[in-house]
Amino acid sequence: MAIDFSFFQPVFLIKIITLIIIGFYIIFTLVVFTQIKAMGEIINIPHASEIFKTIILVNAILAISLFLFAVVIL
Amino acid sequence: MADIFIAPKQNEKKKNANKTIEPCMNMLSSFCKNPQGISFEIQKEDESIILFLRPHLLTNLPWILFSILLAFLPLGIKILSPVFGINFLSSGIFVHFLITFILLYYLIIFSYILISFLTWFYNIFIITADRIVDINYSDIVVHNVSETKLSHIEDVRYNQSGVIPTLFNYGNLFAQTAGTEENFEAHSIPKPKEATDVISDLIGD
Repeated sequence: MAIDFSFFQPVFLIKIITLIIIGFYIIFTLVVFTQIKAMGEIINIPHASEIFKTIILVNAILAISLFLFAVVIL
Repeated sequence: MADIFIAPKQNEKKKNANKTIEPCMNMLSSFCKNPQGISFEIQKEDESIILFLRPHLLTNLPWILFSILLAFLPLGIKILSPVFGINFLSSGIFVHFLITFILLYYLIIFSYILISFLTWFYNIFIITADRIVDINYSDIVVHNVSETKLSHIEDVRYNQSGVIPTLFNYGNLFAQTAGTEENFEAHSIPKPKEATDVISDLIGD
């Protein structure tokens, strides 16, 4: 049985690489979120931890949206 | 018999050091005596923070300028590309890739700004009545907390070198500890002389 390799085109590969990069970026934002949480436990500065957590969550939501956007349009 | 001389007690000296200070804390404070509302994980119940230090706000200028440069880079490329005869929007599929890469690019810049700010924000040097605590956040996945008792500090000094540090009154503080213990360094802190005086008063120099 012949396997169809036609989908392995440069554009398809670039799409996969782009999605992998965005995936790594999402993981990176989660690492930063964990770090902010840890720093918030080490030192308590009023409102700081909450503000940073909100910012990084917005960042993570944007990154996930970009991933979905890339899946759809690429 | 009346006492001719009574040596001030160490605790009284520490209390006096607390009295001379006024609350001054906000989120971007780099130098604050007797900060209110701040606590740290290894703080004891009766332990009060006497001095809160961070690098001077001005030390953020390099990454702020670099971020602005990065933010305007795509616009610069867009303006200059016709000069070199490059047309990024020549093909439909490339437009989709271009939009995705530009969005990813700005997300990465946003993260760079956030990490740079966090590195500054969580680079904290705390002096309490009993000890010095040095908190560092660097390289995204590294955070470091070190502390030493004030009684272990042998020498405190500071240096200010360069035009900008002298102009804006910031510099480095060094606290040398006894034996093989780690020395403490606070870089680019505002009013280093005042900070050195506070530690010297506390250790009884």
